Amino acid sequence: MTPVVPGIFETHEGGTRLLTSRCAGCGSHYFPRGSRCTNPDCLDKTLLDDRLSDTGVLYSYTIQCYQPPGIFPMEQWAPYIIGVVEFAQGVRVMGMVRGVESSDLAIGMRLRTAEERLSATASGDALSTYVFVPSEGGAP
Amino acid sequence: MRPVYVLGVGAHRWGKFPDTSQRDLAIDALRQALGDADVAMSRLGGLVAASSRFEGGLGWGLHANEILQSVSEHGAAALNVGGGCAAGANAVHSAAMMVASGQCDVVAALGAEKMPKGFIPRPPGAKDDPTDSDYLRWKLMGATNPVYWALEARRRMHDFGTTAETFAAASVLMHRHAVGNPRARYRSECSVADVLASPMVSDPLRLLGICAVSDGAAAVVLGTQAEARRRGGVMLRVAGSAMATGLYGDPATRVPTVATMPRPGALHTSEVATAARRAMTQAGVGPAEVGVLEIADNSVWQVLAWPELLGFAEPGEADGMLLRGDFSIGGRLPLNPSGGFLSFGEATTAQGVLQVCELAWQLRGEATGHQVEGARIGMSAILGLGANGASIVLSR
Repeated sequence: MTPVVPGIFETHEGGTRLLTSRCAGCGSHYFPRGSRCTNPDCLDKTLLDDRLSDTGVLYSYTIQCYQPPGIFPMEQWAPYIIGVVEFAQGVRVMGMVRGVESSDLAIGMRLRTAEERLSATASGDALSTYVFVPSEGGAP
Repeated sequence: MRPVYVLGVGAHRWGKFPDTSQRDLAIDALRQALGDADVAMSRLGGLVAASSRFEGGLGWGLHANEILQSVSEHGAAALNVGGGCAAGANAVHSAAMMVASGQCDVVAALGAEKMPKGFIPRPPGAKDDPTDSDYLRWKLMGATNPVYWALEARRRMHDFGTTAETFAAASVLMHRHAVGNPRARYRSECSVADVLASPMVSDPLRLLGICAVSDGAAAVVLGTQAEARRRGGVMLRVAGSAMATGLYGDPATRVPTVATMPRPGALHTSEVATAARRAMTQAGVGPAEVGVLEIADNSVWQVLAWPELLGFAEPGEADGMLLRGDFSIGGRLPLNPSGGFLSFGEATTAQGVLQVCELAWQLRGEATGHQVEGARIGMSAILGLGANGASIVLSR
């Protein structure tokens, strides 16, 4: 699968990870990569490539009930969940939540980052994005 | 710095006006404000426009020079300010600074907008840019603006036990305030049951709990104390005006970002909270002195959260205040007596100017049909795309 935007996440045998920049000076993680360190008290601002843990905790969520305008390349659109997941690195990231019924969602539940097909390109390749899915083990 | 006074205010109606250009909406509002100020167009030393991205001359959006070239070529200074939906308040602030500095005796601030229908999309022609968070939110997850407010609303339900009924009651109040306001676009009362029966847009936010988009235009004419005396009537001073941008570690899910780096103790919606603190400090007032408050209620979440973020209530207190009637006209802290964005629909860059018009009508006792009695200090607070915040305090 080809990520719908390059440089945002990577999938290896161990799973999918979101890619960050970590400031060598203050330790802040920034998602996505390519950001600069914006901590006004940090003077170092040297950024190193890093990534987030594979799991995080659901901070909040919504169900988007109307199709968004424009460029989102999702096939067979249907209402879907967008959540905010908090990672141990101090970053909260928004993304689609899959593999769970909205009635089973609970703030605080543990979710794992995964890659999911969105649609096909003209050449037949699959376009993908990162999503959050229930983590084995369930409870935080 | 010289004291600055409101000489006149004016606004075009809010709604959908497919046959009227943005420039003509702007000129209508400006003429009304100049008429209210009893100032001839040719006496404007400067015109500040809240620049918009959706429509306008020379491909720049609304610009002050375009308006001046259309109606009065007398050499006035033209200043164009951005700031997303906070641009209107930034324009009022900039106009106030031009008078306060001694550069100009009379300056007008102007906002006018014609909005595309439905969800506000990515700007037409914007490049595919993986470092642009607006591109990422559309491309990676298709997140509309209401998604961001809904994420905050859902978290509020978790943190404070806010119910769907209380969120609905916030919409009911905004619509009730607008019933008496002839300038509002939506002037029908609605019930909690009506709100709960309206279509779910982004759970837990329903259609009647988020603002529509509108066309509209508003203008404010500011001037010196001598100019205010010449006009006569209520002397309305710009007691505080401030702009701010966001602070590191702010936990808000901010349109159009896809991530936050929250830090313990950091201010939420810090661009607005900081601007409001600065404006209140300049004015020498605290929350207890503010008699009327106009905020950017893009959704029912803001109606509850912003009074807390701005220091008018402790976190979690706003639900009780709303239900007790504290935010009603006649209550302890009248909130959006105009009816707010929920009753006007948002005409982005015009909104921050309209808020100041509303404060002027309230403090002068001219808010026919939705008057807050006895208010002497009014305050506005607004948020703009890109971590822009602004706040204006008027006093009589």
